[in-house]
Amino acid sequence: MTQACHRKCVPPHYKDAELSKGESVCLDRCVAKYLEVHERMGKKLTELSLQDEELLRRVQQGAGTA
Amino acid sequence: RRARGWCPRPVMVAVPPSPSAPGGPEPPPPLQYSMLLQHLVGEQRRPRAWDPGALGGIPSPPKSEEQKMVERAMESCAFKAALACVGGFVLGGAFGVFTAGIDTNVGFDPKDPYRTPTAKEVLKDMGQRGISYAKNFAIVGAMFSCTECVVESYRGKSDWKNSVISGCITGGAIGFRAGLKAGVIGCGGFAAFSAAIDYYLR
Repeated sequence: MTQACHRKCVPPHYKDAELSKGESVCLDRCVAKYLEVHERMGKKLTELSLQDEELLRRVQQGAGTA
Repeated sequence: RRARGWCPRPVMVAVPPSPSAPGGPEPPPPLQYSMLLQHLVGEQRRPRAWDPGALGGIPSPPKSEEQKMVERAMESCAFKAALACVGGFVLGGAFGVFTAGIDTNVGFDPKDPYRTPTAKEVLKDMGQRGISYAKNFAIVGAMFSCTECVVESYRGKSDWKNSVISGCITGGAIGFRAGLKAGVIGCGGFAAFSAAIDYYLR
């Protein structure tokens, strides 16, 4: 996350040691977006894996009773 | 916003499910993949305190709440505009007094054009001009600083275009009171002026 946001928000020509207002605003937004995307992806993956689990369980039960 | 201290890429563990139950009523154990996901990003994740020093920077003591609040106030647009207003006032006052000194048309009496003006008249004129210039400079400075801060917050970048855009807005707003053409000229002139100052300062 640090690398991605640094690449997006801080241009490589440094004029000042402090973070300017534009850069801080950009970093704020970058971190918020990164974490939100991460959370949504995690939820989606959990959903997918639950579906897989259901499928496997049904297959097992089907194989068990057969 | 939640803080995370762990590696941003979850480890995808593909573990095969345990051997199927022998047809009995007991449910199969949950997949390790989904358990891992639940612990990492799902319902059962543990909240962790985030130490910024752990991300590889130079270790520094964490900032207290008051320090953060003060820093946030000092970086805000309102504070910057107020600072520019005060600075503009002082600069304008000095400039006005100075130009009053070199612009000698005080106390001109048509009946006696060679009369030297009294000290009271001179001081009064200097004060008036100083105040008038100071107010103008303060307003212009505050407007420019405020628009520049707002534009920079909106764009999320800090480069030369911020001062050009805010110069155009300020110059246009000032000149617009005298008509549309004056507004356009003011916009272009002020934008060019602030671009030149920016170029010189960077």
